[in-house]
Amino acid sequence: MIYAGGVDVGSTQTKAIVLSEERKIIGRALINTGAMVSQAAERAFREAAADAGIAAGSAAYVVGTGYGRYKVTFGNAQITEISCHARGANFLFPKTRTVIDMGGQDAKGIRVGEDGDVKDFVMNDKCAAGTGRFLSNAAETAGLTLDNMGPISLQCKKPVRLSTVCAVFVESDIMSYLAEGKTVPDILGGVHSAIAARTVALVRRVGIEPEITFTGGVSRNIGMVKALEEKLGFPVNVCDDSHFIGAIGAAIFALERALTGGVAATSGADKAAKK
Amino acid sequence: MAQPAPKSDYQGKLHNLQKDMIGRYYDSLTAASEGRGKKAVYMMVSGNPVELIQAFDMLPVYPEVNALQLAVKKQSLPHILAAEEMGYSTDNCAYVKADVGMYFAGRKTPFATIPEPDLILCNYVGCNVYLQWFEHLAEFSKKPIYNLDVPFSRNMVSDEPSDDDVSYVVKQLEELIEICERMTGKSLDFKKLQRITELSGETGHLWSEIKKLTRERPAPFDAYFDSVMMMAPLYCLRGTEDGLWFFQEAYKEMKKRAEMREGPLPEEKFRIVIEGPPPWPYLRQFRDMFSRWGAVAIASTYSTVGGIWEFGFQHDPLRPIESMAKHMLQFNLCNRNFLQRYQQIKDYIDQWGADALVIHSVKSCRLFSAGQGDMREYFTKQLGVPTLLVESDIEDPRYFAEAQIRNRVDAFFESLEHQRMLVKK
Amino acid sequence: MATTPVQEATRLHAIFESCREITQDVEFSAAKQWLAEHPGRKAIGCFPIYCPVELIHACRMLPLGIIGAGNQIEITYADSRFQSFVCSIVKSTLELGFTKRLEFVEGMLFHNICDPARNLASVFIRNFPGMFVDYIHFPQNFASPLGMQYLQKEYRRILDALQERSGYKPTAEDLNRSIQLYNRIRAALRELYRLRSEKPHLISAAEQFLLTRAGTLMSPEKNVEMLEEVLAALPTRATRPKDRIRVVLEGSFCELPPVALIETIEEAGCYILDDDFLRGWRWFTQEVPIEANPLHALAESYSERAYYSGSKHDSREVKAAHLIKMAQDQKADAVVIMAAKFCEPALFDYALYRKALDDAKIPHLLLEFEEKTWIFDRARSEAETFVESLLFD
Repeated sequence: MIYAGGVDVGSTQTKAIVLSEERKIIGRALINTGAMVSQAAERAFREAAADAGIAAGSAAYVVGTGYGRYKVTFGNAQITEISCHARGANFLFPKTRTVIDMGGQDAKGIRVGEDGDVKDFVMNDKCAAGTGRFLSNAAETAGLTLDNMGPISLQCKKPVRLSTVCAVFVESDIMSYLAEGKTVPDILGGVHSAIAARTVALVRRVGIEPEITFTGGVSRNIGMVKALEEKLGFPVNVCDDSHFIGAIGAAIFALERALTGGVAATSGADKAAKK
Repeated sequence: MAQPAPKSDYQGKLHNLQKDMIGRYYDSLTAASEGRGKKAVYMMVSGNPVELIQAFDMLPVYPEVNALQLAVKKQSLPHILAAEEMGYSTDNCAYVKADVGMYFAGRKTPFATIPEPDLILCNYVGCNVYLQWFEHLAEFSKKPIYNLDVPFSRNMVSDEPSDDDVSYVVKQLEELIEICERMTGKSLDFKKLQRITELSGETGHLWSEIKKLTRERPAPFDAYFDSVMMMAPLYCLRGTEDGLWFFQEAYKEMKKRAEMREGPLPEEKFRIVIEGPPPWPYLRQFRDMFSRWGAVAIASTYSTVGGIWEFGFQHDPLRPIESMAKHMLQFNLCNRNFLQRYQQIKDYIDQWGADALVIHSVKSCRLFSAGQGDMREYFTKQLGVPTLLVESDIEDPRYFAEAQIRNRVDAFFESLEHQRMLVKK
Repeated sequence: MATTPVQEATRLHAIFESCREITQDVEFSAAKQWLAEHPGRKAIGCFPIYCPVELIHACRMLPLGIIGAGNQIEITYADSRFQSFVCSIVKSTLELGFTKRLEFVEGMLFHNICDPARNLASVFIRNFPGMFVDYIHFPQNFASPLGMQYLQKEYRRILDALQERSGYKPTAEDLNRSIQLYNRIRAALRELYRLRSEKPHLISAAEQFLLTRAGTLMSPEKNVEMLEEVLAALPTRATRPKDRIRVVLEGSFCELPPVALIETIEEAGCYILDDDFLRGWRWFTQEVPIEANPLHALAESYSERAYYSGSKHDSREVKAAHLIKMAQDQKADAVVIMAAKFCEPALFDYALYRKALDDAKIPHLLLEFEEKTWIFDRARSEAETFVESLLFD
């Protein structure tokens, strides 16, 4: 039996996946990244291996992804989470042609080919407009958490119009609306709608083609899912595993390489990258 | 996949020659600042009449080049902060801020003491920031300023400036001659100007021949990261014997490399065109991001800021004033409109043979960057050229998010590599 | 029968309200109505700051101020063309194009304001192939007579292009008639500004802004009527002077501040005695002379008698001179610099203004704005604090 692993080292959380030869997820782990990035990557992968009931060392190939990918020192290769998200989305929803990914500091749009390859991608520019950070600032100002803000936003009757999508200034906007007596659901409705509009505008740069798969931490927010669907005019795919999607994609890359003779296919580079 | 960045920059004897010559140029600035040198004329790099300035034995000083040197030497931030304290905005061009900060810090830099201007010659070639930059310098230094107004290349049908445009610039150059005559107490030596224009013409011609060498596979040098090394002599020494000598040496060396099939990297895997100025404070890191993928720039728009020679222009010693005017109007990147830049890039992609376009979008220089989203749209959607857009800055180190940029670069080449594999299958 | 003050107050109120409506109408109904009433005629959009509207008018076309979309539309396409560090007006004007709201105009005139505006003209050409787009090169050499002479030729070039689009070739008399009409508009605007500086309670800066802005969206014939009607009614307007500080405002010459922001600053306790909103469409300090060569008259007026603008780089005068003079002429207590976010010309000017104002001991406040905002609590607190600091000093 051949096993392959994917480790997605994000700024807050590290996710690891173990795949079997039949492309089945047999182990997973999620831990907080913390300051010791290399150790976090290793520990996440050990936990995922334990979850799968295999020895960590028995994985034929491991791919690291995410911002901390170069810290996956025990891995065989590093691949960006953009490629991994595309591949992971293709694994979960094979008809995916567009991936919308919203994380803490990034928003991305990826146009995906039939086999999960990246055709084109765009990412948000410098300001935090349109990212998870904006939402968490908004939630905090409204006295809510990231988890409950989504459902509450669905009770919105008449969304307010936000004058900014700036993560810093959103707080004063919300304070003004609260002072005016607007309801929290209406304000949150406005927040979600503003971010959705901004994100759709971003993703439009690569061309939006269904099916659309929505990934990243923010995809767990039902308010954002609905707001996106409204702006897109299409339903979007989401699933419970969506925060694992980068790790899944990495594991698929790893499995493909393991099955095609792995290390030989990209040998020099991989060894070099392992350094 | 990505490799650790190999030793990538071109390090021939040209490097030493460049260091030596530019060192001497900077020594002449220091000499001028100490009152034992030539009269200093501040100018913009792009589309300027340096030939005329050389003909009067005056010294060209380029605030842009000084600002970028500060950034390369990692000296820009304190000056930027000082300027912001004075009231400049975080959203203002950081070249200007670094220069203003340096000006008020006694014009002392690790490479030279920059002289006060004797004349501020604002050759306005499409950069609206320059007008303000030089206005500010004129107010600070209380030195004379002359705005040499160059009509923007706005003819949508043809590249050619109109006769009115040309004669307007020629007449202003004639006014400039009078100003220089008054300042130096010498009248223009036309023969000398012709000789300088001839040197300029030959230099420009050699530069264009060097640039055409990157059509070879592998390209003998990186037309973005290595061109930078040749641009300083082109700006600071154009119209001098030294400048010509440098380009004769450069041509010989690059030609030889091309014949030997030597490139800047062990293997040339991707041929790219780079648009936009480099992130000077992090040039090495930026270069490594591409080298890891075996990506070599075979053309760049940035290397045409000072002039576009590779499409046939050459200074003409028989008509020195007119050819300077043409250079300023038509044959430099800054004075050309955005669509003309699209065409220039397209020509590089077609004629030099490129796999992809990389746009480095810098916040400071909106002349370059404002609207590059449309450029990306044009190249990806209309022409089907894979295009990557990354953002940082030319001068302000606070705008370089290394992990972010590396992530985008990696993803881009991963996808190019994957598509190449699919084709091979 | 003479109107009563009450009727006049109602009438003024109605005019201001209709102007508010016109300025917020991103469908440009007023202009479209004019076009419907004048079959065969065309409209030309003028991007700020300065535009030779007389040339357009003399070609029997309607000059229209296409100056961004304020806070009335959501940017969903233009963001993909211009980065986050580019000012709003560039994007919102492009968005008007992408949302097909500019299909009714024959063309657009741009000029060398700043680098994003420069590139915007190209982006317009690529994205809207049927549209007539031209770019006026306003000379930046005023130390020499060559600049003015060149502008005259540039006007000739623009006029030729315009008459080709309109199908009407204007005579010198046509041009002079247009100049006279716009002279009347500019005279009325100047008179309004004069009146306001004398009795600031008669008309607020926000009201005047509405008048000026709406004027750019209607025919000049209608505009002049409206302005003259307001001028006639104002002196007897029953409003009481308030206890406010006197300020002059500078920096909003291109992107337009939301009216409510101007109102906010006034309510915070400021009489804004003079400003550079839309450069007032006043443009010239005096009438454009009627001459045998109208293009010369226009070019010479721009070169010699134009109001200061952040996009005109005139080495004959130091940058802050006009501002210090404006503050002194108006006996202003302070200067408010209101610059659009990311507006390089205004923000660069500020660096010099700040020092000059400090040296002249004139208090000043910098406010950054974006056309697309509509909540002004921050600006209100800043303005109020500033006013308090002057009152309690």
